[in-house]
Amino acid sequence: MIKSLADRLFRWYCHDDFYADISGDLHELHHARLQSGSRMLADCRYLFEVLRLFRPSLLKPFNSKIRFNDTGMFKNYIKISFRNLIKHKGYTFINVAGLAIGLTAFLLINLYITFEKNYDSFFTSYQQLHRLTTDQVVDGVLGVRDAMSFHPAGRVLLDETPETIGYTVTNKISGIIFRKGQSVILEEGIVAADSNYFKLFDYKMLSGDPETALQEPNSLVLTESKARSYFGNENPVGKTIQVLSGFRRPFKVTGVIEDVPGNTHYKFDILMSLKSIQEQLDRDGWNGFNYYTYLKLVPGVDLEQYEEKIVPLARKYLGKESSLVFNVQPVRDIHLHSDFTFEPEIHGSAKAVGFLTIISVFILLIAWVNYINLSTARAIDRAKEVGLRKVIGAQKRQLFSQFLFESLLVNLLSAILALFLAQVVLPFFNQLVGVSIIDQVWKDPGFISNLLLFFMLGTIVSGFYPALVLSRFTPVTVLKGKFRNSKNGVVLRKGLVVLQYATSLLLISGTFIVYQQIQYMKGKNLGISTDYVIGFPTPDVPEDQREAQQEKFEAFRNEVMRASSVETVATTSDLPGGGSSDVSSTSGGVKIVGRTDRLDATTYVQWIDDYNLDALDMEVLAGRNFDHQIQTDTFAVIVNEAFLRRLGISDYESVLNSKVQFGRDPENDKIPIIGVLRNFHRTSLKNQVEPTVYFFSENRGSVLVELSPQDYRAGVEHVEKTWAKFYPQAPLDYIFLDDRFAKLYEEEKRFGDVFGTFSILAILIAVLGLFGLSSFIAAQRTKEVGVRKVLGASVANIITIFFKDFFILIAIAAVVGLPLIYMGMDTWLDNYAYRIVFPWPFMVAALGIVAFFTLATVGYQVYKVAVVNPSQTLRYE
Amino acid sequence: MKKYQLGEFEEIVMLTVGILYDEAYGVAIKTEIESRLGRSVSVGALQSALRRLEKKGYLNSREGEANAHRGGKPKRYFRITAYGKKAIEYNRNVRDGLWRAIPEMALDLKFA
Repeated sequence: MIKSLADRLFRWYCHDDFYADISGDLHELHHARLQSGSRMLADCRYLFEVLRLFRPSLLKPFNSKIRFNDTGMFKNYIKISFRNLIKHKGYTFINVAGLAIGLTAFLLINLYITFEKNYDSFFTSYQQLHRLTTDQVVDGVLGVRDAMSFHPAGRVLLDETPETIGYTVTNKISGIIFRKGQSVILEEGIVAADSNYFKLFDYKMLSGDPETALQEPNSLVLTESKARSYFGNENPVGKTIQVLSGFRRPFKVTGVIEDVPGNTHYKFDILMSLKSIQEQLDRDGWNGFNYYTYLKLVPGVDLEQYEEKIVPLARKYLGKESSLVFNVQPVRDIHLHSDFTFEPEIHGSAKAVGFLTIISVFILLIAWVNYINLSTARAIDRAKEVGLRKVIGAQKRQLFSQFLFESLLVNLLSAILALFLAQVVLPFFNQLVGVSIIDQVWKDPGFISNLLLFFMLGTIVSGFYPALVLSRFTPVTVLKGKFRNSKNGVVLRKGLVVLQYATSLLLISGTFIVYQQIQYMKGKNLGISTDYVIGFPTPDVPEDQREAQQEKFEAFRNEVMRASSVETVATTSDLPGGGSSDVSSTSGGVKIVGRTDRLDATTYVQWIDDYNLDALDMEVLAGRNFDHQIQTDTFAVIVNEAFLRRLGISDYESVLNSKVQFGRDPENDKIPIIGVLRNFHRTSLKNQVEPTVYFFSENRGSVLVELSPQDYRAGVEHVEKTWAKFYPQAPLDYIFLDDRFAKLYEEEKRFGDVFGTFSILAILIAVLGLFGLSSFIAAQRTKEVGVRKVLGASVANIITIFFKDFFILIAIAAVVGLPLIYMGMDTWLDNYAYRIVFPWPFMVAALGIVAFFTLATVGYQVYKVAVVNPSQTLRYE
Repeated sequence: MKKYQLGEFEEIVMLTVGILYDEAYGVAIKTEIESRLGRSVSVGALQSALRRLEKKGYLNSREGEANAHRGGKPKRYFRITAYGKKAIEYNRNVRDGLWRAIPEMALDLKFA
């Protein structure tokens, strides 16, 4: 043991010329010592001698192998590589195209992922920015999490916690009508913000003073593009814009900022000074949390400690009874990780980004696998070249670098192709993901550096193994002509094909499942009928003219109803098909007097008139609809099933004429229940049906018009005409409710489209690879096919033999892949309150597709070989 | 001395190679020196000297037979070259000259 170790050590450092005889001497001495003493002693002496042999004159030279200056060979490598690429055009095309498509897809997806992950990171102090939100905690259980907060809270936190160094309070106002010249415009993206706003969110001010721009009431700060649309090229600062709805007064433009980029969660077109809505502020106070409050905290603050610190503050200002607590979240996490109610926009999904990352890696992997597979499968073609080069004196190292260089060349070609491809498909990609990330790929340093990085990585990953295999051939076996690909290589190649199959399966079935779920959500019975129903906001009414306007609206309604193409006109506070934030709610707790205890949970509130049930075909399960002729109905509620079930009531009849009471104060109004509505989906099926209480109100917020299916076009025209007659100063902005619901699933649809597109790409690349591989295998086995045919095999027989190999691989891929698919996609489906069961039949379909593509590609290649007359294939034997 | 660089141990090794004549391989040289001079010689010291001398051209070598005791490894026999012979002769002459130059009395000196 010691002796053999010592010998290995000696061999390692000793000069090759001296090793043989010196080690012979050592052996002889050792042998002699064995005669006279113990083995242990002899061995130690041996080791000792070896150690003492470590002398400069006996060492191996440090650069042990003599290095020729072989750079002259590079020219030859380039030449041979090019000749090879040109000679096998088909393989070159498959390799280059596969790698280029893979690289393009990977880089574009990464571009999008980077975009999604870097939301709000363009603000100077984004690490310190946090949003104050409101949680409802009942008996220690976290209930509804709301993205909004009370507006005095920012000030309180600044005063009472040293960690807070700045705050800003904002309010998102949707849909205000502005006067522009002679016409009116409905502005959707308006945010009221206090004068601290620019201290936290440092948008570049193009004109005006960021310190004072939002100080005075009735001030506006426009984005560049809005400024241009209102004032052309003039400087708008100092000019006024007439704001119609809600305000009816002129606003002074005090500043212009750069356009708000796409990657912020809080987008707007126009900023309004918060003092402009002072009335609302006074009304809300510590009663209503309708404000987005942002805090600037000291760098590196411990959020958990901070949150604990602000719990007592919530108790202090909201009262001991309240179930609401403050919560803070980093602004940079909002887009992907915040899933609160009342988010300012439909947010992204960390899960979707995760899925995309996986897809992009898969695609690149499939492309690399193609190269590895094809190169090793074709190794036999190059074997003779390797043998001959070795005979002439090429070293393994040189051959290795030659083949690595070839892979570099292929990867370089595909990288260049990928750059152009990316530029060409960029518009489609932008459309696919729904945001315009960049217009020109070569202007994006991130894209270019990624391209270079993954080009290099691809060269190494895809080139390493083939180069290793090729340079390992021994000249004797290769040149003897009895050379076959090694068993090891075959196993690896089959393994890689299995990997490709498994990933293809995953992508295909993933696409199926996403589309199935969207289809399910779109097709599911909502509980209401939204066909041929349009909705639009009611004309805006100032407080003092409400009664006069109500009459006008009645006249409008009657006029609209007169047409035969219109069936019903109803008003509601919230059009069905809105987002989770498009509805009012109360979190003060609710109970049915004498029946249940108070339940501290969020209840949603809507105001509807008695025509709603007719317009939307809502179903009354117990009790009755509102009736505008019954005076007392203005002080009555209809509740939905979800509301009652949450209170643990299943006998709906029994609650009729019971009274609901909101809040804690026992003196609060007790409102009788007159009806129970069947559950219907107001918003995305991602959410459960909201426990809702309906109050009676005429002329609230929005109008629903049910048109007759036969001539709904005429109905729309009629509504437009009537509107123009009654309300010429405001634009009519109507939408079909079907479209409104479809919009809720835009994010899902986009996800499905992205998933689908890249799955197709991945499969395309995999099929390309399979095509190349099978053509090669078929060519390899030409003689075998000839012999089989001579012995009586039919073409069908032969094709079956080839298929068998591939089907085994598909079967393995299915066994490996399906559990993974199940785990991944089932958790995705769990995001939805209403989801499909895991569609196993589609897994079979996905397998079928994979099998079909295999049949087609392999079948084509094998068929070409199988129909050849054996006399041709065997004539040289 | 400048002409033929030869250290003390190197000279001993060369002389021993001369003594052993046709049998001068590593182990034999080692045992010969050890028995004649009564000092132990490490394989490392001996081998590095041998290779150095060979490189200087004082010795040449040939590969010999192998046997089982040697683990199948061949012996390497060394032999003094003509140049090597000159070197040791030169060394010897220089020594003799030095000896001769010592006055008789310096060696006969007796201390009381």
